[in-house]
Amino acid sequence: MAGGVVEKPAGAYGGSTKNYLNETRGIKNWLITLDHKRIALMYLVAVTSALLLGGFFAIALRTVLWDGAVRDPQDLFLGLRIEQMYNRYFTLHGAVMVFLFIIPGIPASLGNFVLPMQLGAKDLALPRLNLMSLYLYWIGAIFFVGVLALGGLDTGWTLYPPYSLGRDTSIPLILALSAVFILGFSSILTGLNFIVTMHRLRPPGMGMYDMPLFLWALYATSLIQVLATPVIGLTLGLSLIEHVFHIGIFLPEYGGDPVLYQHFFWFYSHPAVYIMILPAMGVQSELIATFSRKHVFGYKAIGWSSIAIAVIGFIVWGHHMFVAGQSPAAGLIFSFLTFFVAIPSAIKVFNWVATMYKGSIELKTPMLYGLAFMYLFGIGGLTGLFLASIANNVHLHDTYFVIAHFHMVMVGSTLNAFFGGVHYWWPKMTGRMYNETLAKIACLLVFVGFNLAFMPQFVAGTRGMPRRYANYSDEFTIFHQWSTVGAYILGAGVLLQVIYLTHSWFKGARAPKNPWGAASLEWQSDSPPDFHNFTKPVVVMAAYDYENWEYDANTGGYELRKEVVETGRSIATVHN
Amino acid sequence: MSDGHAHSHDDHGHGEALPGTIGHVTPASTLIGVFLTLVVLTVITVAAAQVDVGRLNVVGALAIATVKGSIVALWFMHLRYDKRFNFFIMFGSVLFLLWMVGYILFDTKMYQHDMENYRHNKTVDGKPKPE
Amino acid sequence: MHFDTLHNQFQAGKLGMWLFLGQEVLFFAALFTAYAVYRGNHTEMFHYGQFFLNWQMGAANTIVLLFSSMTAAWSVRCAQLEQRKGLLLTIAVTWLCAATFMIIKYFEYTHKIHVGSVWGASFNIHDFSELPEKLQKLLTEQGITTTEAANAKLGKDGLGLGTFFAVYFCMTGLHGIHVLVGMGLYAWLFVRALKGSFNRKYYGAVDNIALYWHIVDLIWIFLFPLLYLIG
Repeated sequence: MAGGVVEKPAGAYGGSTKNYLNETRGIKNWLITLDHKRIALMYLVAVTSALLLGGFFAIALRTVLWDGAVRDPQDLFLGLRIEQMYNRYFTLHGAVMVFLFIIPGIPASLGNFVLPMQLGAKDLALPRLNLMSLYLYWIGAIFFVGVLALGGLDTGWTLYPPYSLGRDTSIPLILALSAVFILGFSSILTGLNFIVTMHRLRPPGMGMYDMPLFLWALYATSLIQVLATPVIGLTLGLSLIEHVFHIGIFLPEYGGDPVLYQHFFWFYSHPAVYIMILPAMGVQSELIATFSRKHVFGYKAIGWSSIAIAVIGFIVWGHHMFVAGQSPAAGLIFSFLTFFVAIPSAIKVFNWVATMYKGSIELKTPMLYGLAFMYLFGIGGLTGLFLASIANNVHLHDTYFVIAHFHMVMVGSTLNAFFGGVHYWWPKMTGRMYNETLAKIACLLVFVGFNLAFMPQFVAGTRGMPRRYANYSDEFTIFHQWSTVGAYILGAGVLLQVIYLTHSWFKGARAPKNPWGAASLEWQSDSPPDFHNFTKPVVVMAAYDYENWEYDANTGGYELRKEVVETGRSIATVHN
Repeated sequence: MSDGHAHSHDDHGHGEALPGTIGHVTPASTLIGVFLTLVVLTVITVAAAQVDVGRLNVVGALAIATVKGSIVALWFMHLRYDKRFNFFIMFGSVLFLLWMVGYILFDTKMYQHDMENYRHNKTVDGKPKPE
Repeated sequence: MHFDTLHNQFQAGKLGMWLFLGQEVLFFAALFTAYAVYRGNHTEMFHYGQFFLNWQMGAANTIVLLFSSMTAAWSVRCAQLEQRKGLLLTIAVTWLCAATFMIIKYFEYTHKIHVGSVWGASFNIHDFSELPEKLQKLLTEQGITTTEAANAKLGKDGLGLGTFFAVYFCMTGLHGIHVLVGMGLYAWLFVRALKGSFNRKYYGAVDNIALYWHIVDLIWIFLFPLLYLIG
């Protein structure tokens, strides 16, 4: 193989020019790679493409809604009625964003890259399985492209029967059901791999409580992925058979039970909400601690609250079905249980704030995303409590209030943490720095655009604007137009990111080993890391011992203190 | 069987195991014994089902099946000698299964009449029935 | 190989397999729930549906699977003790049992399709005289003696047996797919054992595939009484 050929002289940044990116060349070597870093990078490209595709649909939706009060939804656009097009676009927006972006987003891209390195390991425990999940993801994504090419779907991403299944055989529907089934297995295999890795590949001297909190979050996420995803897999498998053969399991015309579908669907899809948010919370813990230069406050509380959220996530699914025919008694119990989610979530937020307290805060771009996360998660979480109380919910169900609420959490929080994480680990993944000024401008655009897009929707929702309509009465015009402006600004922010990150990939300044002074183990590797992750023995130390690192003006980054390298131990233990 | 012995060295086998063997070696007598027990329990399941005792039939059948399943898990699947965490995974997933079945079953009676209404007002083509 | 010891590698593979089995339990959970919900709401549907199932065949399959579970466990023992012939024999027997199971299943399925006792919209009894005798007797007592009348009683406008058979075919079908996968795995394992790939420190594949096979058996242990026995 061509590996080992030194193509550029050794620079000041890392000492070696051989790394995982240029170890071997050619597309074939990427396609059959078992290296977690390459797989993570391919995931990153894939989920970002999905994000841009889903974002395109979002912009299209908001554009249609700009003058929804005056335009006749029966008007034709590209040969389709506006309302028909709208229904397809919101379905695809939801499905692409949920199944192709948010669920695999942080764990499969950032998690895949960082997890083994934070353990000082060479790779995940089961590298072949990792490649297999990537391929399953691609197959699922191709199926979704097929759905698009064949004209899309108008069922909503939840695919509720009887509307979705009880009609003439539809190829796009079959493709979509198979796609989610396959993507589910991709997700299960990733989660399984992560749990095994965290159990079996921790280095000697690192207990569960010494792991970075990002890993605790990934652990909790993986538990949900392994235990909840099979349910949706089977449900959509049954739906597929129901749609084609009319076996009478979900369609009432043939003796089936459509509410059962909803139970099954939400038994997965509610925990899936925590698949989306928990990794984001993990990233958040890293960002806040690193840029406050302070040991994270309440380590065990944050770690165990992740597990608590995962477990509670399994017992609250019925709050999606308050008006779907579920019994009042069940509604009451689910409403009551739902409030419990607030406790571990609040524990996390308070601990992050306490971490910042008296820290030496550095407002780098990742930290700005971290701060935005806390603000948006606060609003998203608290409006969740409104929706959990059953009396409010009956009023607010299927209104823009719900839309705004879950976008605050899924987009506001998860997308922000994803951006924060990408900016945080970008130097490590690519070996390049990005333009800090442009990054801050983009962060501001995302934040302003996001708030402008969704704050008005809360108001519109409480005033009765229902979701999933292409037109509305005149009183909602102002909210929709603000929202559309916000969506455009958000879109501009994301585009700006794509531009400067792409530029940085090719032309950015060389990144030092540890530009942020972070203390988890991945920062002991070169930027970008060697194919084997670490060229020198890793000094195993607790994830938040920042005093082990000192700033080195020559490289522009942080280096391990001499005594740490010499003794192979953390300063805190050296002095004891 | 020397359970205590196997338990204290859960990564090594019984006396008959070769040196350095990974895992617990189940004696042949245990394997045959477990199989025969399972066959006997199957016979009991079939016999019990011939007697009609109403709802108790379900309870009885499920109880015997649970016993059989546990025997398979504990001996054939080595859970008795395995890491506790593996037991925990199995136990946890069964717990979630029970929660799911239990809760949905609890709720299901409440919406049956709505479904009946829907069914009676629709033909198979999905069009309303002409009244 | 990036594990420090073979023991660690073995335990990693095993943990992965157990997580996969946990996943399997929840994969089947939805079907068990569907069973419970339909049974809870339509007990009589299950009572009538049961006449179509042949419990002798179900019991035979149970014994076959239990026996294969024992040979699967035995194959692990042989691998640990490095008994090469024993390993090949137990793997082969396990595979043959799986094949026997599928053959019996095939006869059951084809008979049901022949009679017309199938899922949902397709449920349509072809001929009254082909119904199981006990059911014929029961229907005759109720004054039902023609094919049309039997379909009216059992079909979608009556008891809705189509849903019973939807549950039956989905549960046993999914289980059957697992058996087929197991046959594939054991065939692969046989080839590897033939090559002498396994020894007392390296037999993770034998162990993990046996674990998978046991869960297939375990699920059948529940399916058999639920579908064939309690009406």
